Amino acid sequence: MAEIQISVGSIVALPKTGLEKLLANLLQMGYRVLGPQIQDGAIVYKPLKSTAELPKGYISEQDSGFYRLVYSGHRRFFDATPGAQSWKQFFFPAFSELASFTRDDHGHWQVEETDTDMTPLALFGVFPCDLAAIQVQDHIFLREEWKDPIYWSRRQSAFILAVDCLHPCGTGFCASMGTGPKANPGFDLRLTELEDVFLVEIGSEAGRLVMEGISVLPTSAFWLQAAQKGLEDASAKMGRSLPDQRELPDLLLNNLNAQQWDDVARRCMSCSSCTQVCPTCFCWDARDFAHLNGQTASRERVWDSCFNPDYSYIVGGNSRPNTRSRYRQWLTHKFGSWYAQFGTSGCVGCGRCITWCPAKIDVTVELLAIREEVRS
Amino acid sequence: MIQTLGKPHAISPSAPMQPYWAEIVEIVHEAPGVSTFWLQFLDKNLREGFHFKAGQFNMLMLPGLGEVAISISSDMEESHRIGHTIRSAGNVTSTINRMDVGDVLGVRGPFGSWWALDDCVGKDIVIAAGGIGLPPIRPVLYYVMHHRHDFGKVIVLYGARTPNDLQFTREYKAWQDAGIELQVTVDRGDDSWDGRVGVVPILFYNTRLDPRNTVILTCGPEIMIRFVIFEALARRVPPERIFVSLERNMKCGLGSCGHCQVGPFFVCKDGPVFSFDKLQPYVNVEEF
Amino acid sequence: MTTEQELVKALQAIPWFQVMTTEHFKKISNIAKILKFEPGQVIFHEGDKEDYLYVVLEGRVAIEISIPGRGRMRILTADAMDEVGWSSVTPVVRQRTAGARAVLPSRLVAFDASELRKLCDEDHDFGYYVMRRLVNVVAGRLMTTRLQLLDMFANPTDYKEE
Repeated sequence: MAEIQISVGSIVALPKTGLEKLLANLLQMGYRVLGPQIQDGAIVYKPLKSTAELPKGYISEQDSGFYRLVYSGHRRFFDATPGAQSWKQFFFPAFSELASFTRDDHGHWQVEETDTDMTPLALFGVFPCDLAAIQVQDHIFLREEWKDPIYWSRRQSAFILAVDCLHPCGTGFCASMGTGPKANPGFDLRLTELEDVFLVEIGSEAGRLVMEGISVLPTSAFWLQAAQKGLEDASAKMGRSLPDQRELPDLLLNNLNAQQWDDVARRCMSCSSCTQVCPTCFCWDARDFAHLNGQTASRERVWDSCFNPDYSYIVGGNSRPNTRSRYRQWLTHKFGSWYAQFGTSGCVGCGRCITWCPAKIDVTVELLAIREEVRS
Repeated sequence: MIQTLGKPHAISPSAPMQPYWAEIVEIVHEAPGVSTFWLQFLDKNLREGFHFKAGQFNMLMLPGLGEVAISISSDMEESHRIGHTIRSAGNVTSTINRMDVGDVLGVRGPFGSWWALDDCVGKDIVIAAGGIGLPPIRPVLYYVMHHRHDFGKVIVLYGARTPNDLQFTREYKAWQDAGIELQVTVDRGDDSWDGRVGVVPILFYNTRLDPRNTVILTCGPEIMIRFVIFEALARRVPPERIFVSLERNMKCGLGSCGHCQVGPFFVCKDGPVFSFDKLQPYVNVEEF
Repeated sequence: MTTEQELVKALQAIPWFQVMTTEHFKKISNIAKILKFEPGQVIFHEGDKEDYLYVVLEGRVAIEISIPGRGRMRILTADAMDEVGWSSVTPVVRQRTAGARAVLPSRLVAFDASELRKLCDEDHDFGYYVMRRLVNVVAGRLMTTRLQLLDMFANPTDYKEE
């Protein structure tokens, strides 16, 4: 086979057997590879040692408050769209240490240095919506004036292998949000899975390095067309859409007393599932712990949610004392104020909040209802 | 936020949730349940170089117990020791209020936006404060006293629940001697008090102000702020010249944890001092 | 200065009298007199007949209600240009619901309430003008009372539920 020049920006074809070599390369380079696997009937992200662990042949069927993994019999690795977990748990862990204190010989508190696990991570199989979510979170945790050290230590060395989405999950609306079904730039490698090959786009120098020593083929017009068609079909059968999402900030922030808020408040249980599964939600709490011996103490960062009762606690009470005000905060922040804060929408259209809401609340339906109410 | 003040400041970029240690060098009892704690950083560089602007706050921390946002209530130009006026309201504040001179606690800061004193030059300033809302204003008064000729009339309208709850009473004469007009009222009094009894907003009734040249600074319970703004707008002071200091659940001080959000604003980073025109769309929406 | 000149000068210092017609001004000054009080001196007691409407010219007057066991509570003070005893103008209320006492050396102008009511009945333009002013006073008092009632400075721990 002739030597094929791989450079950043080029697209090559990788036989399906080559995926194992790609994974091996990543492991050999010292990455801790995390990839989708099946556990308890759902896709979770765990350390990956071999492509045999990938959910080959599975698809996920999703709808409001509904999720099933079904064996389709196909030989594809990445048909199953994401489950409740997203990749935010790796850059923005649910529990992390902020500070640790020990009393010295004089009884004074001293700060202890905290260890950070610096093993670089490789995210293997990031769907386009989730890649967009990582970029949304980059705006939050990595700012011009200050970078969150916990996020940065994991993010700066992370390798992202993105996969295009050819079998939409059904609850997602990434096409409306401009985040899919094709992965936008920001990946190290982008895979489009066809029947016999992967098309691989080299997104960065790191991506190019990982591809060294792997046998690839030149792309063919046939394959490129198949990929193009696959993505067009995926766009067409999204299942859900959110038209004119750029108009939402004005719509929402000008209608904070709409009837629809009362309506959704009757159904929402304030369970906070949506914020947990959402790949962009970033709120956190600092918790303090003291050892009973009074000699050591620590501060921990944990995920928090605007639906939690104490979230809006202010001295004297709670500024959002009911479900109505909390749901409104979540939705107006996600689709509205986020733009003013970070320059992007807070939503990437992954559909997780729709799939995992036990009350079957669908954000696309709620937003449409507000639009209708305002128009009438 | 961090850059605009220049170093040094008590925030570590590589570990922004870690505190710097400061010693309590003096405690001044101001009112029942309220004391001002004067802190000095243990680190010499910080002690000599720490700077803050009027309206900013520090996060005070007790390891194992928690952290609380407290406005700095002392003179900007004497920042080797910094005053924090603290009312016992929860676990952390109650514990601090039981600490002694010589005790050490953790400090992070300074955080937040500040009273726009540069925009007040040549103008009249009317300050409407209530209760524990006076401490975040006190740095403004010190500044005015140091630079009195920069400003026109400076009027403080201040109220508290009872005469015992008035903050900084020992300093009133010094303020008045410096040319600051002071009108004080209490919500309720008894016959040992021959000052005013009423509420802060009605102090506007006898205050003559020129809406074209007046800046209003207000800090206190949100309901008082609301009525003060009502009176200010009724007197045609434009919203962009009414500044308020908001209070929300501040945890990180960095605009990261999300708790302090009001609409698009992080009160810890975009506030706590806001010009009212920015807040107008949101403040009167119930429970927003 | 004769008492009458003193009276006219005093009335002219009150903002809402400055925009009165000459005729109305004359009518109201005819039923007015100036009174002086020392600190601690009672102006009227709770339960007294509603005989005068007062405007404070100088000094400070405290409105008080006496509660057995708690003593005399000052619920409001009236400073220069504030009204005291506005309810004497309403036909329904006949007794003072609170007492008034000078807190600082004070000078007040007192208007005979029954004469004032008669003037309002006879001249509706005059009556409207007076009532409009007093409605503003009541509005301000109501706002004050509401804020006092909300106890906005209360320490939150006072209201925490267990």
